[in-house]
This record gives sequence, structure tokens and C-alpha cells, in this order.
Amino acid sequence: MRTWLGAHWPALLVFGVVAGAWTVVTQFDLVRDLFLPGPGLVGAALLDLLNNGYKSRSLWAHAGLSLERVFGGFITGALVGTLLGLGMGYSRKVEAVFSPYIEFLRPLPQLSYLVLLIVWFGIGEISQVLLLFLTALPVSAVAAMDGVKSTSVQRVQVARTLGATDWQIFRHVVLPSALPEIFTGARLAIGVVYATLIAAEIIAGSTGLGWMILDAGRFLRSDYVFVGIILIGLMGLALDRLLLAAERRVVHWAGKA
Amino acid sequence: MRISITETTAGRIAGGRFAVRVAPEQWLSLVVVAAGFAGWELITLLRLVPPDLLPGPGAVAATFFDILRNGYRETTLSQDIFATLYRCGAGFLLACVTGVPLGLLMGYRAKIGSALDPIVQFMRPLPPLSYLVLLILWLGTGNASKIALLFLSAFPIIVSSAMAGVRSVRIQKLQVARSLGANEWQVFRFVILPSALPMIFTGARIALAVAFSTVVAAELMAATDGLGWMVFSASHFLRNDIIIMAVLLLGLLGMLLNSLVLVIDKGVIHWRGVE
Amino acid sequence: MGDMIAIRRRRALQAVGAGLALPFLSTGRARAKAPEQLRVAFFVETKPTMIAKGEGWFDQMTGAKIQWSEAGSGAEVNTGIAAGSFDIGLAIGSSGTAAGLSQGLPYELIGMVDNIGPAEDMVVRKTANIHSPADFKGKKVATPFGSTSHFRLLGFLAVNKLTQADVTVLDMTPNAMVAAWHRGDIDAGYVWAPAKSKLLEEGGVSYPTYKELDAAGYVIADLIVATKAFSQEYPDAVVGFLKAYGRALALWQDKPDDAAQIVAKQAGVTADVAKRDMEEYDFVPQKDQISSAWLGTPGQPGKFTEVLKRTADFLVQQKSIRSAPALAAFQKGTNTEFLQRAVSG
Repeated sequence: MRTWLGAHWPALLVFGVVAGAWTVVTQFDLVRDLFLPGPGLVGAALLDLLNNGYKSRSLWAHAGLSLERVFGGFITGALVGTLLGLGMGYSRKVEAVFSPYIEFLRPLPQLSYLVLLIVWFGIGEISQVLLLFLTALPVSAVAAMDGVKSTSVQRVQVARTLGATDWQIFRHVVLPSALPEIFTGARLAIGVVYATLIAAEIIAGSTGLGWMILDAGRFLRSDYVFVGIILIGLMGLALDRLLLAAERRVVHWAGKA
Repeated sequence: MRISITETTAGRIAGGRFAVRVAPEQWLSLVVVAAGFAGWELITLLRLVPPDLLPGPGAVAATFFDILRNGYRETTLSQDIFATLYRCGAGFLLACVTGVPLGLLMGYRAKIGSALDPIVQFMRPLPPLSYLVLLILWLGTGNASKIALLFLSAFPIIVSSAMAGVRSVRIQKLQVARSLGANEWQVFRFVILPSALPMIFTGARIALAVAFSTVVAAELMAATDGLGWMVFSASHFLRNDIIIMAVLLLGLLGMLLNSLVLVIDKGVIHWRGVE
Repeated sequence: MGDMIAIRRRRALQAVGAGLALPFLSTGRARAKAPEQLRVAFFVETKPTMIAKGEGWFDQMTGAKIQWSEAGSGAEVNTGIAAGSFDIGLAIGSSGTAAGLSQGLPYELIGMVDNIGPAEDMVVRKTANIHSPADFKGKKVATPFGSTSHFRLLGFLAVNKLTQADVTVLDMTPNAMVAAWHRGDIDAGYVWAPAKSKLLEEGGVSYPTYKELDAAGYVIADLIVATKAFSQEYPDAVVGFLKAYGRALALWQDKPDDAAQIVAKQAGVTADVAKRDMEEYDFVPQKDQISSAWLGTPGQPGKFTEVLKRTADFLVQQKSIRSAPALAAFQKGTNTEFLQRAVSG
């Protein structure tokens, strides 16, 4: 317990300061609760949502559906993106074929092509997951490509003079040095996918945390909006920590090699 | 990494003088892009999708020239492009100016890092649309709320990448530098910063892309110009030709911005993949 | 070039207006002063509002330089007003207004743009075989949430004892609705033009609900709201704003073809489309707006305030807003003083 506290006290301190400031600002009516609902109101809203749900679905159902979409989009997008990125980093030809599309897709606002997705893929889960897939894919691809490209040339040369085959070079030189960036890319991708959740759930809403936030925001129900924001933030944080733990296990050589 | 080696050799032989020559890879890219347009044209020619849902390249080009000449709802196209670029640029630069130092500090000082990291990681997955309403309530409908939104979407990414960059510095290098008598500033300047910069630039490119992809969300509410505004304004009248034109422009502008960062990246980090 | 001349003419008119205002100013009465700027949130749509905007009547008759902000929804207007960025919200829907008044946003209802009537109504797919309310069971109906259409669709379900477990109600933007309709993903849509016309063109038939719903109290309307801060400071400008809209309404009444031409140009559609769209709305003349059937007069609030109250109560049930005040709050939030002055000349 003491060691846990020893490691986490700075975070707890900051958390305490933020929570304290929030309470003080709202408690003394420095801002209207329309603008910033206090912890009490947000707590009440959370309880209300837990007990009664939001618009004919429980809060857990909304959160679960969102999580499914996020996972669906992230896993497929990160996997395909990483493979594509490895290929693009390894071969100029592969890069030439895919990079125009990747580079075009990457900064493209998801909101702007929603309707096209609906035209092609309808209003079901496919469109929503596809949107998240298209968001994760370029992020992972660029990270993997950059990872491969940052491999030290000398090391590749050394490996080659030692008689390593292409596959061995890839497996034992390129991949290990690219993995840290691939993991960074994956963590970025999950962040971006989460950040796109609302855009995805706009497609044909009535389910999901993103849609709940959007719908509540329409009538300035800041208390529900805050509950949604906090839940999404915490879920994102948890997923990020999970990835970080995985990264530490897999890429134990980062910063040491 | 055979390819990289041939590339550098070729670069050396060309000596920069023949750099304008179009490489076979670039031809390949051109072919692929042309194929994309041909596919699009084919889809509309075969009427796989009704033209008002997916107008063909010709219709979109006509719309482009029309808007280029006559503007869109009392704004000129260049005004819209500039408004969007300005918001995106301001938000992104603000995020760089504040995020890079903070991220470096968080990577360098473990206590500060562990104190602030949860907040940064909490912010990262938040959908910008979720707090757009709050930002408008706080900052009004003008550019301030829009720039703030883009800033907030880019900031956590830049902070994270700067922090990760510092943390990826090889411990031996630090030890060597210290044992050679480097002071803290020198260690930071000559060991940590050069090692962290590649990651910072990668992060900056991703952050720029994220900020740019958020620009439409920023212009979703109460905007009077910008390409994102154009998308929404056109969607009220089901003008998909205008929407697609704006999407293409957004994509191209995004690519342009990205290559700008890449050029800076290449100019600054000549050591990427060499050390 | 034509624009230049128009601008010059407008400037000249403004100068004349300012000259006329001078004698009043010299009497020292604060209410005669014209605001330097007036920030208006509006919707680009096929309505007479676009005439008064396009012809510069709003600027002329308020004596202000108007800053127009295009809104996409009533929520945007409410948010902008709460943030202090708009002075007047033009053509905000009644559900948005009811929500705003319930939440204590600092504005008053000062006039109507239209009674929506059949302009927003249900369209069902021919092949979906929907002929009675019971046929909606198991069907997918889309509408933009938070809109007046959404409110009336939920009213339709309530009146016919249907729940959202019987009917899948989907939140879609009009543009998305057209795309989904084309694919056959939805069976019905509750929406306005131009999406509504598109659904009708592509194998949809009208399923009129508005008469029944209007009778049941689910009246929907588009309204004009002004912040109290602005209307107290510049009452004359507010009256001028309403007069400008009154003038546009009169043009639509007297010369619908001319009116449609101007609207079409502003909205970027053909004159025929503009005329067809506008014919669906009931543009209540301003002298009727102050009758007891609608907003009433100062001290004698009309029936529409009850509609607002009912709308707000419904929004509370929907969890869209936290609570709704009593009827009196909506009567107090309706200020017909300006409208009365505008009508009387």
C-alpha cells in the first residue's frame, strides 16, 4: 500500500486539486451549472443514468455498445494498418501504391464522409465500425512505416554481411526496432478511434455513449454530457494503460538496446 | 533494409542535381490515384449509385469551378480555405508550443510525468464533439472556441509523443554523457533532445492530422465560413457535389500540411535511422 | 457590379435612416438609438426570412449592421445565446425555444416565423405497407433528434399508444436519411424539405399526421427569440426586425412568384422548389400572431404559450431537459410588446 502511494502520489495530488477546484468553482456559483455542472449534479446524473438508463437503454448497454465498436474498429484498423505500414516501410513500391490513399485518408475529417459510408454500407454497425477502422488504419500504418524507416542502416548492413536472409533481417532487426513505434501508434490509434466515436454514432444514433453525449448536448444537459465525457475518458485511459502494459511486456528492450 | 541503402546510394550518385526526375515509385502513385478516379467515374457512369448521392468527377469539378468563380453563400473559396487553415494552424501551433515543453518536462522529471500523465491520457480519447458545446458556452461562437477545440485535440498527442521520446533515450547514452562530465543542460540538449525529436515529429504529424480531421467538427456549430461549414451548409440542401468537393479539398490540404511537416522533419532530423 | 450598386444604395438608405433618427437622438431618449451591431443566428431555408435577409430589409429597418451566423439546429442557437454570442435567434423551432425558456436562457419569444403544419410530416415507403399506426410496429423511423420533427414524431407515438420498443426511432441528419432511404434501410422518415421531397420522389408516400397531432397539442412552429439584454437596450431595433419580416411575409402573400424568386436565389434552389416548399408552411400573418390563438398580446398570453409548456413537459419526460417551469414562466417568456408595435405601424 505504501509503495503504491509512493508511486502514485503526484497523480493523486493533481486529481485532488482538480476535483477541489471543480467543487469550489461550482459550489460558490462562480459559473452557472449550464456551463459547468458541479460534482453533486454530475454524481446525481450518474446515479440517475445507472438506475434509469438513457432513452430506453441502460447506461451499461450504451457503454458496452460503444466499447464493441471501438474494439472492432481499433483491432481491425490497427492490424491492417500495421501490416500495411510494415510493407510500406520495407518496400518503396508498396509505399507508392498505398501512401497516396493513406495520406489522403489520414487528415480527412470523418464527419465529412459519413453520408458516403451510409450510401455504401447502410446505417448498421458495419458503417460505424468501418468509420473507426478507417480512422485507426492510417495512424497505425504511418507509425509502423516510420518505425521500419527508423531502423539503423548500419545494423541492417551488419546483419546482411553476417549472412542474414531478408526474413531474418526483418524478424530480428527491423521488427524489434519498429515495435516501440508500432505500440506508440497503437496507443495513438485507440485514442483517435475513441475520439471519433461520436462521429461514428451519429450515423444512425440511439445507442452508444457518443450518441448519448451528442443527444444530451443538444439541450445543454451538461450533467449528462459530463457523465459521458468522464466515462469515455476513463475507458480510454484504461485501454491505454492496458496497451502500455502490453508494450512493456513485449518491448522490454525500449530505451536499452 | 536493402531499399534504404539503394536509396541513399542513388541519392549520392544523383548528387541532388537530378532530384527533380520522377522516380518510378512516383509514377506508380500517379497510376494508383488515376485508377481511383477512374473507378469513381465508372461507378457514376454505370449508375451504381444515383448521381445526387454520389456525383461523378465531372460534376464535382464543375461545382469546384463554379464555387471558385462565384463563391459559396457570400464567402469566396479562398476565404473558406483560409479560415479552415487558420483555425487548424492556430490550434496546432498552440498545441506544439505548449505541448512539446510540457511533454519533455514530463518525460524528464518522473514525478511531474506521473502527476500529469493521467490527465493527458484522459483527454486523449475524448471525442472533440463531446466538449464542443461546452467550449462554445465558455468561449462563444467565434474563432476562440474553434481554435480551442483543435488545440485540445492535438495537445495530448503532442505531449504524449514528447514524453515518450524522452523516455526512449538509451540509458547507456545518458550514462556515457554523464560520465564524460556533461551537465544537465548538455545532457538534455545533446542527448535527450536529439533522441526525442524523431518521436516528437512523428507525434506532430499525427497531431496535425488529428487537428485537421477535427476541423470539420469545429465548424459544425455556429460557423460562418470554412470548408467544414461548407460541408454542413451544403448537407442541409443535400448538395453532395459540394460536400465531395470540400472533402477532396480537405484531403488535399491535409496532405499538403503533412508534407510540410515532413520537409521540416527531414531538414531538422537528418540523423533519423542513421545513428 | 450590380452588387456594388445595391450596396451603395443600401448604404445611402442607411444614411437616410440615420438622418431621420437624429432628431429623436437629440431628444435624449435612449430607446431611439440604433445598435451598432446586431448578431443574428439564422437558418438557410426556403422561407420569407430569406427575402428580408437577402434584400437587406433587416439591416435597413433595424438600423444596425447585422452579423449573420448560419445555424444548423435550434440547439446551436440556444448554445450561442447562452454563450452571449447572439442577440436574436431567427426561426428557432418551438422545441428548442421551450427548452431554452425552461433552462432560463436569457431570451424572450418575440414573434413567429411560421406554423410548421404539414411542412414537416411523415413519409413512409410504399413497399412498407404502412396504412395505420399499428403498421409502424417493428418498423424503423428516422428523424433528426432534438428537432421539431422529432418532437412531433414522439407525439405521434404517444397519441397512438406506441412505444419506442414497438418502433425503432433513429437519430439521423436529413442528408443521412436520404442516403439510408435510398438503400432501403429505413421504412419511414419524419423530416422537412428538401429531404422530405427526396423521400417522396424515391418511392415514398405521405402519411399525414399533422392535423391529428396539432389537435392533440403537438403544434410545432418556428419562432423568433431575442435576448432581454438586447431588446431592453434597443426596443426599436427589435420592432424594426419584426417589421422587416412582416414586409417579407406580405410580399409572399401578395406576390408569391416574386417572393419565391428571391428565396430561391438565397437558398440556392430553383424558384419552383422554393415555391413548393413555402406552400407547405402556414406563414401566420403578424396581426394574427397577436391573436389569442397564437402568442396573444401583452397581459393576455395566447394559447401557444400552453403549447410551449406542453412541449417542455414532454422534453422533461424525454430527459432532454432537467425540469420545466410552470405555464406562467412561458407566458412571461413571451413578450408580444414589440410585435404589437410592429403590427400597429
